Amino acid sequence: MLTLRYKADTSIPVEIEGLTPTATRNLSLAEIQRFELFHGNRKLPLAEFFDVSGDPSDARLELEGNLAGVHWIGAQMSEGEIHVRGDAGRHVGSEMTGGAIHVHGNASDWVGGEMYGGLIHVHGSAGHLIGSAYRGSTTGMTGGAILIDGSAGNEVGLTLRRGLVAIGGACGDFVGANMIAGTVLVFGACGNRPAASMRRGTVALLGQNPPSVLVTFKKSCVYQPTFLRLIFRRLESLGFAVPAEYYAASYGVYHGDHVAIGRGEILIRETGAAPQVN
Amino acid sequence: MSSGYFKIAGGTVYDPRHGVDGQVRDIWIRDGRIVEPPSDASVRPDRTLDASGLVVMPGGVDMHCHIAGPKVNAARKMRPEQKRKAEKIVRTSNTRSGTMGSVPSTFATGYKYAGLGYTTAFDAAIPPLAARHVHEEFEDTPCLDKGFFVLMGNNHFVMESIHRKEPEKLRSFIAWLLGAAKGFTPKVVNPGGVEIWKQLPSGNVHGLDENVAHFDVTARQIIEQIARAVDALKLPHSVHLHCNNLGMPGNWRTTLETMKTFGDSRGHLAHIQFHSYGGGEGDENTFNSKVVELVEYVNTHPNLTVDVGQVLFGETTTMTADGPLGYYLSNAFKSKWFSSDTEMESGCGIAPIEYKNTSLVHSLQWAIGLEWYLLAKDPWRVVMSTDHPNGGSFLAYPQIIQLLMDRTYRQDMLKLVHPAVLERSTLADLTREYTLFEICIITRSGPARILGLANKGHLGPGADADITIYTPNDDKTKMFELPRMVIKSGVAIVEHGEVREPLTGKLLYVAPEYDTSIETDIAEWFEKYYSIRFRNYGVPLDYLHDPEEIACD
Repeated sequence: MLTLRYKADTSIPVEIEGLTPTATRNLSLAEIQRFELFHGNRKLPLAEFFDVSGDPSDARLELEGNLAGVHWIGAQMSEGEIHVRGDAGRHVGSEMTGGAIHVHGNASDWVGGEMYGGLIHVHGSAGHLIGSAYRGSTTGMTGGAILIDGSAGNEVGLTLRRGLVAIGGACGDFVGANMIAGTVLVFGACGNRPAASMRRGTVALLGQNPPSVLVTFKKSCVYQPTFLRLIFRRLESLGFAVPAEYYAASYGVYHGDHVAIGRGEILIRETGAAPQVN
Repeated sequence: MSSGYFKIAGGTVYDPRHGVDGQVRDIWIRDGRIVEPPSDASVRPDRTLDASGLVVMPGGVDMHCHIAGPKVNAARKMRPEQKRKAEKIVRTSNTRSGTMGSVPSTFATGYKYAGLGYTTAFDAAIPPLAARHVHEEFEDTPCLDKGFFVLMGNNHFVMESIHRKEPEKLRSFIAWLLGAAKGFTPKVVNPGGVEIWKQLPSGNVHGLDENVAHFDVTARQIIEQIARAVDALKLPHSVHLHCNNLGMPGNWRTTLETMKTFGDSRGHLAHIQFHSYGGGEGDENTFNSKVVELVEYVNTHPNLTVDVGQVLFGETTTMTADGPLGYYLSNAFKSKWFSSDTEMESGCGIAPIEYKNTSLVHSLQWAIGLEWYLLAKDPWRVVMSTDHPNGGSFLAYPQIIQLLMDRTYRQDMLKLVHPAVLERSTLADLTREYTLFEICIITRSGPARILGLANKGHLGPGADADITIYTPNDDKTKMFELPRMVIKSGVAIVEHGEVREPLTGKLLYVAPEYDTSIETDIAEWFEKYYSIRFRNYGVPLDYLHDPEEIACD
């Protein structure tokens, strides 16, 4: 395991794009110390920001300290594991294709932006635009899973194409906006205009007091979707807490958004008994 | 003691204007120009470049591209997703940083053109209202001498003058407008069609004789009258025309009729590939090549010149003053769309697209472009262009050269495109291979002559010392994408692909004479309709970086 202990004290952004388990696993510690990072618009060796120790050959990377000002952690990684023991900056796991990132703290915006595969688990809260498309792109996240134990900001799953996003706490406005497909689950409160302009896919609002559904969604039925229970099991297997009563709950289905092609759905957990099926 | 001379010694020189076809020559340079060798044999050059075994040509001239102005900037802003993943242009001690993708940033555009051996480029569609912006961007587009064509085909004053049958007024207005913008020649884009697009939902004109409402003129009248005015003003380049019905199946009839409309006037038909389609009524199954029919007319009419607008497969961004075309493309590709109305002057449409070799239409477009090069008898009147970035990036020029020079490569590529291309175009039957001499014509000497640039496109005494030196290679893509050295105004600006000295380059413009009494009329009309004041409209000469007036004679 390679350990990088953050020692810098700077308000200028530090960008560690390219520092992936694949890139470091065959490097010596001296070479890793010379790895060039961006400090603002200047390239500087990694050793100016981190104490380096351990053995990178097992493709496991531990980042320790307050890395809230360190961005692009695990961006484009394809294998191995990264554990962040502290807060992380923006773009954690951006465009990653495989492997797993665990943030044992909070993360900032753009977690898993345009991610292709793998797992990101933020054990604290995260910022805006989780799994989203970057500005100008026609597709957001296309595979993998992003789990946020705490809350998240606005535009979670913007233009999501495929994959799973689960928010354990509350999330902001426009969750699943412009979604092409994929699944977004929100276990806490949710902001306004969920799934606006979605084409396909599922946005599940599981918390108390869900927001009003846009008028361009149409309620179809109340039922107990089997696939949701399978997703819950998968989430639990990944260490994400799912309240037991959610398995047995009934869910209202709203189809839309009819301003787009209307083939998506919002599921809203309903209290009360499940409808009888004759 | 310094003699001031720079000598390129013993290179294999291609200079079609002087009939030099691969002969070993020395070239002497002094004060930024090519000069006669010093009469005193004892004079020693300050620097001698041993070019033995290397190919020496004039610097490339791109006469039709889109590299500056508000439309290009809008396209840059529209494609962050492409720029993010594209090659990064990193700052060095003597160059600026930049971005690539299908619409590179200003400095990157200059560096990349120079990296291919191009030293002159003309932006093909500038609304005069944006001229000041363009001059500012040109100053940030290094390594190139630059100029631009001024959009006039849907200008309200132009159409009113034609309607009132006032050719003298039209001529004076054109001269005034070119002078005000510091432009090079009138550009006519979908004459009348853009105006109708601005008037009506999905409006356009579909033929040369369709009436343009409110102005009561036709596309044919606009083309005829502007072409005559351009000749009367003795502008160095002809009117530069983007015909009606671009991209539509069956548009070849409009194109042929447009060619006839020129009569004896000079005319340049831009991106002719996009105007050479058979078929009709929007039925893709009837889409086919009509190059044979059109090239025959061009071959027999020396007053006409064309640039090709070659399509290359891949993603790009279309940008055009042809507003309805931009809308059509964004619908066809279900892509983003930008539309702009430039007051009394023009429109603009931008849409990202992708040319796919699995598409019959795109494959045919690719083949039709190549047919134009291979069927045109006079290489002096057919110019290499991709209509950058509309058909593809200028960075594809080396690949086009290989397609023209290497029949086997072309046939191999033909196997990768839609199979119906074999039946619907003549490309498979064309065995012609371009020589280096002919490539030199279609990439520098020809466009320089068509533009009326006496000091460009050749290596004779008096020419600007814009020179590209290539290392010969059977793989023509490799040969042309990495010149050994590029010299601009006598200075080595690129060596082995690295930018050494990014000169700003000159601004080429015309200043035709006209009856200045017309300015009273123009000012009155202008103050009534424009969003800015008349006195703030013209770009003064001292606003330009390193301007060079090209004479009208």
